[in-house]
Amino acid sequence: MSDPVGAVLVVGGGIGGIQSALDLADAGFKVYMVEDKPAIGGAMAQLDKTFPTNDCSLCILSPKLVDVGRHPNIELMTNSSVTAIDGKAGDFTVKITERARRVTEACVGCNLCAEACVLKGRLRNEFDEELKERSAIYIPYPQAVPLRYVVDPVNCLQVKTGKCAMKCVEACPANAIDFDMQDIERTVEVGSIVMAPGFEGFHAEAKGEYGYGRFDNVVTSLEFERILSASGPYEGHVLRPSDGKEPKRIAWINCVGSRDRSCGNEYCSSVCCTYSIKEAIIAKEHSGSVEPTIFYMDMRTHGKGFESYLNRAEDQHGIRFIRSRISEVQETPGKDLRIRYESEEGALREETFDMVVLSIGLEPGEGVKDLAETAGISLDDFGFCETEETRPMETDVPGVFVCGAFSGPKDIPETVMEASGAAAKAGAMISSGRGTLVEEREFVPERDVSGEEPRIGVYVCHCGINIGAYVDVPAVVEYARGLPNVVHAEENIYSCSQDAQHTLIDRIKEHGLNRVLVASCTPRTHEPLFQETLREAGLNAHLFEMANIRDQCSWVHMDDKATATEKAQDLVRMSVARAAHIEPLEELSLDVIQHGLVIGGGLAGMTAALALADQGFGVSLVEQEDALGGNMRNIHYTLDNDNVQEYLGSLVDRIGESDIIDVHLNAKVSEIGGFVGNFESVIDTPDGPERVEHGAIIVATGAVESAPAEYLFGEDERVISQTELERRIAEGEPVGRTVAMIQCVGSRDESHTYCSRVCCSDAIKNAIRIKETDPSAQVYILYRDMRTYGLKESHYGRARELGVVFVRFDLDGKPAVDTDGDALTVKVKEKILGEELFIEADIVALAPAIEPRPDRVDLAKMLKVPLNEDGFFLEAHVKLRPVDFATDGVFLAGMAHSPKTMEESIAQAYAAAARASTLLAKGEVRVNPAIADITEEMCIGCGLCVTNCPFKAMELVLKEGGRKAQVIPASCKGCGVCGASCPKLAITMKHFTNEEITAQIEAYRGVA
Amino acid sequence: MATETEGGCQDSADKHIVVSGKLIDELEGLCEEDVFGCYQCGTCAAGCPFMDEMDLTVDEVLRYVILDKKEVLESKTIWLCASCFACAERCPRDINITKIMEALRQIVLRQNIDETDLECLTDEEKRSIPQMAFVSLFRKNIG
Amino acid sequence: MELLYYPGCTLKTSAVNLEESAFAVAEALGHSMIEMEEWNCCGVSASLTEDDLMHHLAPLRNLVHAEDQGMDRIVTLCDMCSNTLKQTDYRVREREDDLKTLNDFMDQENDYRMTVSVQHFLEFLRDDVGWKTLKKKVVNPLKGVRIMPYYGCMLLRPREVAIDDAEEPRIMADLIKALGAEVVDNPYKIECCGSYKTIEEKEMTSRRAKTISTYAVERDADLIMLSCPLCKYNIDQRGKEAELLFDGYSQIPVMYYTQLLAIALGLEGDWGFGAHAVDPTPLLEEKGVLPISEGST
Repeated sequence: MSDPVGAVLVVGGGIGGIQSALDLADAGFKVYMVEDKPAIGGAMAQLDKTFPTNDCSLCILSPKLVDVGRHPNIELMTNSSVTAIDGKAGDFTVKITERARRVTEACVGCNLCAEACVLKGRLRNEFDEELKERSAIYIPYPQAVPLRYVVDPVNCLQVKTGKCAMKCVEACPANAIDFDMQDIERTVEVGSIVMAPGFEGFHAEAKGEYGYGRFDNVVTSLEFERILSASGPYEGHVLRPSDGKEPKRIAWINCVGSRDRSCGNEYCSSVCCTYSIKEAIIAKEHSGSVEPTIFYMDMRTHGKGFESYLNRAEDQHGIRFIRSRISEVQETPGKDLRIRYESEEGALREETFDMVVLSIGLEPGEGVKDLAETAGISLDDFGFCETEETRPMETDVPGVFVCGAFSGPKDIPETVMEASGAAAKAGAMISSGRGTLVEEREFVPERDVSGEEPRIGVYVCHCGINIGAYVDVPAVVEYARGLPNVVHAEENIYSCSQDAQHTLIDRIKEHGLNRVLVASCTPRTHEPLFQETLREAGLNAHLFEMANIRDQCSWVHMDDKATATEKAQDLVRMSVARAAHIEPLEELSLDVIQHGLVIGGGLAGMTAALALADQGFGVSLVEQEDALGGNMRNIHYTLDNDNVQEYLGSLVDRIGESDIIDVHLNAKVSEIGGFVGNFESVIDTPDGPERVEHGAIIVATGAVESAPAEYLFGEDERVISQTELERRIAEGEPVGRTVAMIQCVGSRDESHTYCSRVCCSDAIKNAIRIKETDPSAQVYILYRDMRTYGLKESHYGRARELGVVFVRFDLDGKPAVDTDGDALTVKVKEKILGEELFIEADIVALAPAIEPRPDRVDLAKMLKVPLNEDGFFLEAHVKLRPVDFATDGVFLAGMAHSPKTMEESIAQAYAAAARASTLLAKGEVRVNPAIADITEEMCIGCGLCVTNCPFKAMELVLKEGGRKAQVIPASCKGCGVCGASCPKLAITMKHFTNEEITAQIEAYRGVA
Repeated sequence: MATETEGGCQDSADKHIVVSGKLIDELEGLCEEDVFGCYQCGTCAAGCPFMDEMDLTVDEVLRYVILDKKEVLESKTIWLCASCFACAERCPRDINITKIMEALRQIVLRQNIDETDLECLTDEEKRSIPQMAFVSLFRKNIG
Repeated sequence: MELLYYPGCTLKTSAVNLEESAFAVAEALGHSMIEMEEWNCCGVSASLTEDDLMHHLAPLRNLVHAEDQGMDRIVTLCDMCSNTLKQTDYRVREREDDLKTLNDFMDQENDYRMTVSVQHFLEFLRDDVGWKTLKKKVVNPLKGVRIMPYYGCMLLRPREVAIDDAEEPRIMADLIKALGAEVVDNPYKIECCGSYKTIEEKEMTSRRAKTISTYAVERDADLIMLSCPLCKYNIDQRGKEAELLFDGYSQIPVMYYTQLLAIALGLEGDWGFGAHAVDPTPLLEEKGVLPISEGST
């Protein structure tokens, strides 16, 4: 195509849109982000905590919100919608309407307008699912980006009638309210588009039998998230709406608006099982007397770490699980709720609850149909975006990509993967336009503070109620004021919010601060945020210190405010003492070798290699077998009847045709040296070792099928794996008249606690094939939970319709496979009849667990990356960084991460490639300057530091004075092990110098 | 299993129900419902007003059909069903269970086996019970 | 207006009081109920098997009779009749082949031309009279009377023939409010009363009546309002019998909505309370909506 426009339109400001936008902007493209609501954040901002780590949702989201808000390459248009899209891939013309906010950019977010509004308290805030009140001029939530209030055009009296006293205008100190503001029509040119409009919760009124809308104490799960949330209607106290009492018995009803033909939503919403467990656990955390019960049909905890989450819920947290779908909810005179259900034994039971939470499903949002029409993309029967299994982020319009719940219900890690993947595709399409429309970020020149006395500013954060409810923040501020070198101290409700950043910048200038201490949460998530704020204020980023008074104080001392406050003061005193000693540090930047190494030539590896090559980067693809394909070579068809071998062939062809992908078969990586941007590795090939230099690594080493140790596998040749069954079906070999399939063989038990995710779908895939070929065949599927999540649910229905018999069993009632003479028999307790079912099978097909590779430990050591408890590679953050490792420059894709479908592998591979290419595209990598610092004169060259360094970041170099230790800056993580091992104390850690640490310790002891 | 039902004063007549072939095939033509589509979620049983009185629960009845257990035709459940449609309305698989119950009854009735015995009614009752009840009963329980 | 009225068997026998009160109400509202010239048993219960067209004959003939009279609407008082006639009408409109077969079979009657709609009297009150109008005509509001509406199943299921939302119906609640009374909502209002099981499973039906009525009593309801003659028998009569099965249980009165309407509209007449197992008279007198008669307790 003729020069494509180097800009991308991202529609939707939820986590999907945000991730896509950041990836694209970081990769050098201009991004226009359009969000319908007045602020970005989407549904994730409404959640209290996220599973399975129970991280505070907004805490992990807000750094990304602020990043979007301040990124020079992202133009954010909120309160806006796309009205027309014309043109074609590479050159789209998009019309956008920015609806009038009636509040200008001068807004400081002080809330005085909302306080003065005549409709104060009379309207309900949508962000809080209408559980909280708001005025006609409002901000959806305190950490909103942009932090600009908005006028509700439907209810505001001035807008409706023109006759209001406009107290808001009077009250505004910044003159930011402008009722004459009009809608703005904008036209922008972009090369590609990413659709990420997300989802809406199912409208529970449609299921009248549950009483939502009639009974006060029946709430939706989204409403419950707001109830749990510190910034919600009850400030984080779990109370019930009718009388504000603390509910004890809370029931979750799963599958509300999902897996339900009667309301038109046959699909499964994928996330509700796990989120109901999360809500139950958190509710119990808030109040130990809560007794949660979850009513469900199948328990679908198929994600990474979810199965152990489920086990903990039952064993440690005492959550009761009842496998039954209720018929209706009844209300008692006291507004309690009565539920009648059929127990597993077939008896009728009735129980009373104080509160009922409906686990509502995910639906395409209201405006999505129009959006689809505008873009010309096809939607499926349920209104989700149509995609193909081998092209999960592509719509049927070239140049328009999709990610997140819009293409089918999914959770946050999958959304983030798809978002990065969509960014990769959107960027690859216009790669020649990279860098043409963006500006280099210019920071204010740094002020030279050398020679100045320390002037420390202290900010103590409330973090909503996370800190504020358990620590007397004003007392800490007061205390801080009296500490040496502190010239200014103040409190913030949310130090991470955008307005707090503005305030911080102002104060730095006002008071001539040259050191900043924020006493709040963890530097792990928020240090970069504040560091950037310092840079914008003209201060070196490393003149920043953080005291964790949340994770290390308020969160663990919730029951003793006085002592918690004292401890917070101690922590602040210690940090102030250290801050006085911290020095500015210069960031190094190193060149990046623009070449990628992909380890593993299966689906994920091949896809990642092609994706990198599409972006113009050379790739070395290493595969240990004699052909590419990995596990894909054993897959023949999918649930949607795609021809997998054909697709495999096409991938192999494309790789062969590429000039810049070097394929090494029968090869293994034996050594990896160097650091991000500058790796040097050795590949053992049949022709001898080969050295390759590269800037990034993608680990796509896959997983293996385990060999079952039960059910006569390996003893009777009629007992086979699903893989073998699939092969026979694909090649037209007979499979017999009676096939019994057994699920969860080695998964979800002592041998592997996790769920292998794909087996339920595989069994159904094969069962459907067998029945379609021979309707008289008898197919039994013996399962524990049927995990056909998302849009796969309709295939489950189809299998049932075809006459497949499903028999459920529990871990303590596993089937028994025996031989009886010539016959192969399967016996299992039929739970509904209460008697034993006896099957004489021609074939028994097992679903073996998917295991991480046997050589994983060596691999992990070589890569210097960790493994999780199940032996799969452990990513940097389960939710928001699913393809990154904590080690920079190394990325992860495919089953090496966890068992997944082909579609999911492809999405993750694109995501890994996106992250890798962002790194490679930049051409340089900034090195964290908080690294080891060696005083050469003191070094005796003993080499202890080299041996002890876990990151291979130390080396001995021959210098004039002898052998001296030298740090490799880009590999050094600043962990301090070298400093601790040096017998001569010749090594100190920059930003954690001996002086600084000593000052901290002495401040703790009260020695000023 | 639900409790035993207190019947009227009739005795269960000796039924000799003959079903050759599969139950599911017998049901074809009587009702076009996707019995195999039942997930055994329990919604129907939980909402059935007479669940307490039945020997088999509603979803058990469907399971019996799926597993081709012909004893279902001898259950009290299918005769206690009042065709109130509560199950059909709430079934998430959109299965019209009411029709399946009717079909099961019809299999029995069409073998010339009646499920009603009016001898124990008093004259007063015969007079006071609304006629519509009798008409319904005859239409439902007599082949 | 003139309404073509389809009685059904029970309205002429056990539920005469429903018919009489309905007629009086219709007249007071300025309408007249004219009984169909030709009518037969409605054919309850509606045929539920795919292959059974025979059982659609009886209801179909009634629809034909209406057409013969040149009318396009039948109004019925009996819930089961309403349901059965509507189901047949629905079936033949959905499957024209079946209609053809039926029409061909009926060699003595005219063909059904699908021009008739079946309306339950409650629908007529809601859609043709309107609650506002009704309220205006109420001269004796039932103040302080707490009424529990009971729909049973025939009015609301199956979906195709429902006269209101099956999970959250409001037609009766709206009527109760128009009469000036208080609504006592309850979850059993849409659950089956036992229907024809009352003949052979008397005690089961008694238990049903007790469950339904107990909820009402727990919420201080004074009486249960319903529309179907069989529901009325089951809850009233079988409910009274439940008093013998359960110590301390006392059945609350059950009334037809038309009887309550008649009283609220200030109409004179005997609404057949003598036919009730539990006589509602004492309650109504106590609430002041009926004048206290001599000789009553």
